[in-house]
Amino acid sequence: MSTDFSDLHGELRAVARDLLGGAGRDRAPGWKAIAASGWPGLEVPEALGGSGATFAEVAVVLEEMGRAAASTPYFGTAVLSVAALDLLEPGPDRDELLRGIASGAALPAVALAGDTGTAVAARPPFRLERSARGLLLHGDAAFVPDAAGADRLLLPALAPGGEPVMVDARPDLAGIRVTAQPLLDASRAFGRVTAEAAVVAEGAVRRFAADPEAAFRHLGDRAAVAVACDGLGLSEAMLDTTVAYVGVREQFGRPVGSFQAVKHACADMFVRVAVARRLVEAAARALSAGDPDGWVAASMAKSYAGEAAVDVAGKAMQLHGGMGYTWESGVHVHLKRAMLDRSLFGSPAAHRRRIARRYR
Amino acid sequence: MTGARRTAQDVGEFRAEVREWCREHIPAGWREAQTGVGEEEFVAFQKAWFQELRRAGFAVPHWPAEWGGGMPVAEQIVLYQELAAHDAPRLVLAFVAIHHAAATLLAAGTDEQRRRHLPAILDGEIWVQGFSEPGAGSDLAALSTTARRQGDGYVVNGQKVWASGAAHADWCLLLARTDPDAPKRRGISYFLLDMGTPGIDVRPVRQATGESHFCEIFLDDVVIPRTGLVGRENEGWRVAQETLGAERGMTMLELAERLGNAGFRWLVETCARSGLSGAPPLEDPLVADRLAGFETELTALRALCRDLVERHDAGTSGPADASVVKLFYSELLQRMTAFGAEIAGPAAHAELRKPLSSGWESGAWALDFIGSWEWTIPGGTSEIQRTIIGERGLGLPRESRSG
Repeated sequence: MSTDFSDLHGELRAVARDLLGGAGRDRAPGWKAIAASGWPGLEVPEALGGSGATFAEVAVVLEEMGRAAASTPYFGTAVLSVAALDLLEPGPDRDELLRGIASGAALPAVALAGDTGTAVAARPPFRLERSARGLLLHGDAAFVPDAAGADRLLLPALAPGGEPVMVDARPDLAGIRVTAQPLLDASRAFGRVTAEAAVVAEGAVRRFAADPEAAFRHLGDRAAVAVACDGLGLSEAMLDTTVAYVGVREQFGRPVGSFQAVKHACADMFVRVAVARRLVEAAARALSAGDPDGWVAASMAKSYAGEAAVDVAGKAMQLHGGMGYTWESGVHVHLKRAMLDRSLFGSPAAHRRRIARRYR
Repeated sequence: MTGARRTAQDVGEFRAEVREWCREHIPAGWREAQTGVGEEEFVAFQKAWFQELRRAGFAVPHWPAEWGGGMPVAEQIVLYQELAAHDAPRLVLAFVAIHHAAATLLAAGTDEQRRRHLPAILDGEIWVQGFSEPGAGSDLAALSTTARRQGDGYVVNGQKVWASGAAHADWCLLLARTDPDAPKRRGISYFLLDMGTPGIDVRPVRQATGESHFCEIFLDDVVIPRTGLVGRENEGWRVAQETLGAERGMTMLELAERLGNAGFRWLVETCARSGLSGAPPLEDPLVADRLAGFETELTALRALCRDLVERHDAGTSGPADASVVKLFYSELLQRMTAFGAEIAGPAAHAELRKPLSSGWESGAWALDFIGSWEWTIPGGTSEIQRTIIGERGLGLPRESRSG
């Protein structure tokens, strides 16, 4: 069983590296090519045009996206939306949207705020209010992955009864505003989603299939681990490019990589990446298996991989010397992405705070 | 069953067996009983514990079946996890015998050498490693102890240091120079030395912790018969390289499990005790943050060790895998014990002895911290491990060096 999966992962990784790496940073593959690769539908059931795989496979693709610092709406559209939809009660609308995601025709986004003060958001950023005009949606979510390009929004909201639900809405619905948020990390797109008394139909309110609080927290864990995967991938890219560079760059008549100070710094990067990999893989496995302690693994992966990615990318800039600090070298792209990864969906300290609650 | 793929159910049943065994056989209160005792009591306790493990088939699970081992790797992992979880005493005295000596004999020894020593090790024969010298630490190949051919044997002269447990050893794994004119790695031979041979003087060396487990071994015209040579003359360096890593997989897993189980538990308990100001340190968010960081790193360390063992078993390990684990473990141990000493405060300095037969973390945090350099220095210092990772793991250019 595990052998089959590791074979599948190896193949998936090779294809992803080829497609993402071959295109070059400024010419990321279009959504059509990504949809054709089957990645958006990885977690979509086969009956709906997907491949019925698990988050462990999605994690491999996310890592490769981080490695390539790819500009694609994969995270917001495929990863978060499919995760959210899979947690909802089945129904024709949900199934149609899943089918659309798998085929590449639909580009939804989940209005999950990336700037949670806690490890995972305690409550949804939106709320529903019953009024004479019908159901009104209020709320605000910033740093929403891939919000600006979305053709459909899934907004986590507190229902009038107090339980978390998902509101399915068009971005052009009256009262909803989506604005792009330009960030230092220009390799990805984030946006702010605001709802001011937007009138939503009763039928647009979708309920979670199981415990809604747990489902909403699970979505937060998914987001955290997805970002950890991105950080792991970009750490590996920075390690590889640094090792290649210090092996050929000469000063004082020899490759700088032969100097112990440089070599040992590379060894530390290698260890950091190896440690992060074990934690990220364990978290991806735990979440795909529905492990009740999966949140611990998620917080461990997010806190460690987030910090490791910034350390490794920072070390990469240092070891590339003057060249590394230039815009042209591109190291800054990975560094900024690593810094944002560290901050998104719970800081390392917030995730460790959650882990430490178990010691009391 | 040996080598067969075990199902999760088999492993689960084995885990239950080991748990029951642990509950029945681990001596209650052994830590207190092993604190402040003399060498004789330590040796007696170690030998008795070894035989207890042997009766259960747990003493040398990693040996081939024909010599008394043959436990599948998946079960060995479970065994060490459970021994750690139940805070069993460690096999300290037999360590070199069951790992280095056995690995050397199995890989390079003659049938006669194996027949003579492997059963004897099971009966309690103790071994010491005679590798390091005053002038040959990290640069082990610079060793200068000589073994001169004379008649049907060799005459050895020189000095060995950092020989852990030499005072109790019956036999010694000895590296000595047989060809002083050859390039330094090509003139070394590997010997089995009977510690009862005339001309051997063992003197204990007091370590930074105040304990004296290490010894110096002075060798003055010590005769080793030709049957004591392992492998071919002048090929000892290669034999040593092949067998030095023998302990790295499963023993690292055992140590990681210990640090992650009882070690981390004690650290949390230390933090949960009322501190000097009255409030438990655990209520300080900075303390909780450090603990969560350690638990995260321990989780990864344990996964790295399982990975190392499984890859070693499958023959797919990378050239720097063992170095990554050794480096990460050593430095994590050092950081964790440093934190324990910081939290425990002055009280930790009043614990003058730590229990013998325990792991590297005993809860006597100040002594544990001082003892942590026993991991970052021997067996290839952390600096050497980083060089190995850089050169063999990442393929970075070597510095020019001799030999």
